Amino acid sequence: MAANAATGAAEAAGEAGRPPLDIRWWGLWFVLPVVVFFAVFSVFPVFFGFYLSLTDYDLLSPPLFIGLDNFRNLASDKLFLTALVNTLVFVVGATLPVWAASLAAALLFDQVFRGRDVVKAIFFLPVLPPAVVIAVIWRLLLHPNGIATSTVGWFNGISEIPWLANTVLAPLAMIVVHDWAAIPFFMLIWLAGLTGIPQEVRDAAIVDGAGALARFWYVDLPLLRSTSLLVASLATINAFQSFVLQFVLSADQGGPANSTLVLGLLVFKYGFQYFRMGDAAAVSVVMFAIIMSVTLLQLWLGRRVY
Amino acid sequence: MRGRNATLKSIMPHPMLRAFAMLATLVVTALSAPVAPATAQTTTIKVWLHDHPPRVAIDKAIVAEFEKANPDIKVQYDVIPVGEYGQKLLTAFASGSGPDVFMNSSLLVSQYQSAKILAPVDFAALGYADEKALTSLYLTGFDGIRFGGKIYGLPIEVSNWVCYANNAIWKEAGLDPEKDFPKTWEALPAVMEKLTKRDANGVPTRRGFDFLWPNRNMFWFVQSSMFHQQGKEMVDPQTGKIAFDTPAGQRAVQYMIDHVNKYRLGGPQYGDSRADLLAGRLGTECSFGLFGIPQMKTANLSYTIRPAPRFADAVNDNGFDAYAFYMMVNARSAPANQKAAWKYARMYLDRSVELFEKAGLFVPRQEVLTSPGYKSDPNIGLIVDELKKAKFAPSIPGHDQVVDILLKGRDQMIQGGQPAATVLPAINEEMNTALARARARAGG
Repeated sequence: MAANAATGAAEAAGEAGRPPLDIRWWGLWFVLPVVVFFAVFSVFPVFFGFYLSLTDYDLLSPPLFIGLDNFRNLASDKLFLTALVNTLVFVVGATLPVWAASLAAALLFDQVFRGRDVVKAIFFLPVLPPAVVIAVIWRLLLHPNGIATSTVGWFNGISEIPWLANTVLAPLAMIVVHDWAAIPFFMLIWLAGLTGIPQEVRDAAIVDGAGALARFWYVDLPLLRSTSLLVASLATINAFQSFVLQFVLSADQGGPANSTLVLGLLVFKYGFQYFRMGDAAAVSVVMFAIIMSVTLLQLWLGRRVY
Repeated sequence: MRGRNATLKSIMPHPMLRAFAMLATLVVTALSAPVAPATAQTTTIKVWLHDHPPRVAIDKAIVAEFEKANPDIKVQYDVIPVGEYGQKLLTAFASGSGPDVFMNSSLLVSQYQSAKILAPVDFAALGYADEKALTSLYLTGFDGIRFGGKIYGLPIEVSNWVCYANNAIWKEAGLDPEKDFPKTWEALPAVMEKLTKRDANGVPTRRGFDFLWPNRNMFWFVQSSMFHQQGKEMVDPQTGKIAFDTPAGQRAVQYMIDHVNKYRLGGPQYGDSRADLLAGRLGTECSFGLFGIPQMKTANLSYTIRPAPRFADAVNDNGFDAYAFYMMVNARSAPANQKAAWKYARMYLDRSVELFEKAGLFVPRQEVLTSPGYKSDPNIGLIVDELKKAKFAPSIPGHDQVVDILLKGRDQMIQGGQPAATVLPAINEEMNTALARARARAGG
């Protein structure tokens, strides 16, 4: 059938005097709409962003090409440096504890115990609402005279804690709220990984006399290598891109005193509040480079650990 | 031709598949066929206003009436949620698809004017002989949209803040807001302390008075008002520089610091003071304007309106600064669209009484000031008396960045406990650098 079709196409080509459209290329034509869509809405904006990072652009006037000036200026831009440090602190707080705690939760829920599914469902609840809703809920919980203060105050008698209005507490609050929602999500990924470990291997370790800790360290963890890398990479990328939490939960979008200003929020401020789209694009490019570097580093380290 | 059919048959042997391909070709051809052009004389103007539910019905009626009166003009009216309005406007202008008619706050118009987005008012298209013929119809409202002696928009809402007292809380404290409301900033803390309830740690469980801290522009407004009371300008008109490192600036800022740290009456850590007043959790609030009256009535709150306090040695007898929302026309629109846009704006202004009485949008126009709605509540007169004395809060390019720097300094002083003497000069320099950069970019 296919041979006949090819012969027919060849004949047709001869008659029309031009080469036929090879049937093998038809697949490409079918995916072309998606490729065009992807190119227009994903690839083009990325390259356009790179171009904008080389311009002085206020969105209201035409962009002016200024070469690498935006990047040179970032090196001495106090706001950018503040946001960079805040982001790095946030990333540490939003990755290491999440990695460890979500693994611990997965190990717990990997055990069989009464009511496990119910507890697991409750534990998973923070993943369901959108980030904006989570931020709004926590805004109420973290009111200076709210539930969080009452809980702490029950121990030490303090009746007011400015959780979101203190330059030390506010960044910590961002990390806690982020981790609260992220841990159950990553727990599911760990659980999927744990499910994939063959029971025979664990049984063999038990027969060899391995205790629970030894089984985890020498059997589970090495076999969870790819899951571990996935969790680390996703958690890092998510943390670097954090925006909604700081936008909604923090005082004055990044306050107090810029203590919760992260790079994602800075891009928004530069682009849409300060009319500095060229700087916003430059920060985005730097973010892209950092995330790419950290992810590649994680993948490289992951290849060498085990 | 036969060969091509043979190829199609060999590729799509199923007749249904071939039929589908031909149908798809027909649809694509039909869709790509040129559409019959609109009548050459018809002008379509795009009008973008932000959402305000009580106003939308009036907007639609105005559009219908306008199109009927001007059959050669079509209006494409879009209502945009308040939270998305600024961003959408900005991206539309960036992509060259901005509206012909749009609105914005007096605080942000400077940026648009600097970028030459705003068309100066076309008095002829509006149907007025000149600027005086237009502005003489208003008590005030154009100072926030005047640049280089020209006006670039028409006020569709003018506001100024006054103080609202919760009568029940004042009565409970044995006070009468009519008689006991403080006339000066200096007298305010002692009176408000009487309304404040505190726990054993001295933490307010009910505040007597607080500022609207979550509002980014509150600090800008209140500080500017305090500058004006001292006979000074927050943005020096001579040098064009921000003047927080002056005695007037230090005094205004110190008042806010003392409110939080010395008198402990409130602070940025608390919630929305407007919501707290409406919920009966706050004794006094000073960030409602005329628009507050229907909200008090809806909340079933017994209230008293009082003028904002002044400094005891105030040079000017002004309360809080004024601000406005303006209807403006896109200078990049075609001349015919601009003319049509100003005609539309005129019809909008001519409905000022209806907009005030049904949508609560106040413009101090003569017919509004003599309307039954205006006369129905004596409090309105008190608010408008304050408006007569108010100056407009300064509008500068890069407003949001400058305000962010100011708020950072505020946090450093109020929450970080850093002395104003060191913070103010530093943030003042930072604000002026940001302002100079915004002006330079706009000038370029």
